Amino acid sequence: MITLSPEIKKKINRFKSIKRGYYSFLIISIMIILSLSAELFINSKALMVYYNGNFYFPTYQDMIPGKVFGLDYDYETNYRDLHIKFKLDENSNFVVMPIVPYNAFENDLKDDRFPPFPPSIKDKHFFGTDNIGRDVFARLVYGFRIAIVFSLGLLILNYSIGISIGCSMGYFGGKFDLFFQRILEIWSNIPFLYVIIIISSIIVPNFMILLLVMAFFQWIQITWVMRTVTYKEKEREYILAVRSLGASHMRIIFKHIIPNTISIIVTYAPFAISGGIVALTSLDYLGFGLPAPIPSWGELLSQGWQNMDAWWISASVVASLIITLMTVTFTGEGIREAFDPKLYSIYE
Amino acid sequence: MTAYFIRRLLLIIPTFIGITIMVFTITRFVPGGPVERIIANARQMQTANQNIGDQPLSEDQINMLKEYYGFDKPILTSYIDWLFKVLKGDLGRSTRYYDSVLSMIIERIPISLYFGILSMILIYGVCIPLGISKAIKHKSGFDNITSIIIFIGYAIPGWVAGVFLLVLFASKLNIFPLGGFSSDMSFEMSFLEKVIDIIWHTILPLIAYMIGSFTVMTLLMKNTLMDNLSSDYIRTAIAKGLSFKKAVFRHALQNSLIPIATSFGNNISILLMGSFLIEKVFNINGMGLLGYESVVDRDYPVVMGILVISSLLFMIGNILSDICVAIVDPRVRFK
Repeated sequence: MITLSPEIKKKINRFKSIKRGYYSFLIISIMIILSLSAELFINSKALMVYYNGNFYFPTYQDMIPGKVFGLDYDYETNYRDLHIKFKLDENSNFVVMPIVPYNAFENDLKDDRFPPFPPSIKDKHFFGTDNIGRDVFARLVYGFRIAIVFSLGLLILNYSIGISIGCSMGYFGGKFDLFFQRILEIWSNIPFLYVIIIISSIIVPNFMILLLVMAFFQWIQITWVMRTVTYKEKEREYILAVRSLGASHMRIIFKHIIPNTISIIVTYAPFAISGGIVALTSLDYLGFGLPAPIPSWGELLSQGWQNMDAWWISASVVASLIITLMTVTFTGEGIREAFDPKLYSIYE
Repeated sequence: MTAYFIRRLLLIIPTFIGITIMVFTITRFVPGGPVERIIANARQMQTANQNIGDQPLSEDQINMLKEYYGFDKPILTSYIDWLFKVLKGDLGRSTRYYDSVLSMIIERIPISLYFGILSMILIYGVCIPLGISKAIKHKSGFDNITSIIIFIGYAIPGWVAGVFLLVLFASKLNIFPLGGFSSDMSFEMSFLEKVIDIIWHTILPLIAYMIGSFTVMTLLMKNTLMDNLSSDYIRTAIAKGLSFKKAVFRHALQNSLIPIATSFGNNISILLMGSFLIEKVFNINGMGLLGYESVVDRDYPVVMGILVISSLLFMIGNILSDICVAIVDPRVRFK
């Protein structure tokens, strides 16, 4: 068990007392947890199949060929059909399907109509389908999962680069600082999109490559922040005191400066996460993000933009973007307030 | 102080050279440049004419093309050539449209400037009064309701709001046009009709432009005013019997406008360059879209030309906002 210092405990309690921030934090945490176990809710595989006295749990299992359930094919069972078949058979066999019985990749096509199909509770396409018949809700949830994992990864990368470089810039100062300042200025002026387009013209960007490229450009901001904070912190007397006691630079940075700047680091984190989600969505919208079949919000938005009659596509993406980004922003505001309470006097 | 700003201005030069040399080098290593495009076009014509050879252009022709586009020299020499041309005010010619880059940029600037200035006026015109009233009525119902609206605006990026506005108002309700800057038939209209037409096309993109900075500005105004309201000099003023209204508008407000004024310098580059995502969503031919298309088309002279302008604006804007800080707040000293 990690023992929290009373200072941190006080901050956590203060954060809990900020209702808007605290509930937003709960909501976004629940959303993340649900999306990580999305296979249980949104999947074309059944949760549980009972067939001739045996139980099957296909969700996290290898594929089960249709022959196992007395069907006449060797490829993966179509559990939606099986569900209907068992119902018609009226024996003890049964299939428990997830709430949304579609995955993010399959096209659910109809014989008489062309997609996109509007939302329908009967078909269990709660948010309708996209332009080629994939379930919008499934793509939203799986896209959310990818986006949130992406921005968390981006956050960790950016922070590790930004904190180490920013800290050393602020701490050592002088020529080192001036030199890196110029580098940062040049760096932040290179058109980020340009490099992404170039890279995606040479190779198909996958998750890791995109993450690295984005981190390559986004560590700038936190570096500036850390530089300024370290600069201020370095001038404080306690640093002078530990220095005169003979502490090494390493010890001063890791034991004293970074723990004292943690509030800044934590405060920026939620905003960095929402920034990461927006950046990935923009790239996917332009078509330079993750490659095609991967579910993503940006790709859905561009479908909604191309096919404006299918209002449900863009409406559901915009609604989920608003909910996600707002809860993240409110969490951030709450954290900021908890770490840096401003007491205002109000005149009646 | 003057020495500080002169030093800052001089530091623009190495940064500028650093930025341009990096992008210039990148353009050399990217596949799909103008020479390759011409080869591909020639190959297409060849297949259309039914005689399939291995290489449509001769070695000499390719070398001539490379010489024409300046790809025959080493990177550093052609970079220096380019730099001297830029210093003379010549940004070169587009390799795709064969127009001069400068005229292409000058053609697009008014459109971005139009949206930039309008949104700037609206942002400052609405945010300052809104911020003031939110600060005075802190934690009241009005404050909470506007906060929620403002945070929704903050949460969604402008271009996403743009897509949504288009779907809702242009496609579903059919009130506003689907994009562009004027109707196809605008040349037949009278002057008044043209003005109305442009306004009609302006509203949706303008909202999208405003959404981002709106929240930041309002909250900046609100928070700084509240900081000032709780400071000692206001308490003194009120204790001496000054009315609350006078205390706010005579004393607190003046000091609270400082951060708002200083943010203006940074807005210059946004004012001129526009946002390529919003321009793409609404199909507006501004600077942002020009930059985006030139990157996608590998139109290097245009990419470099826009980079020159945008990086200069960015750096000058930074210095300007520091100058603003120094002017409005005499306590600030730059060394």
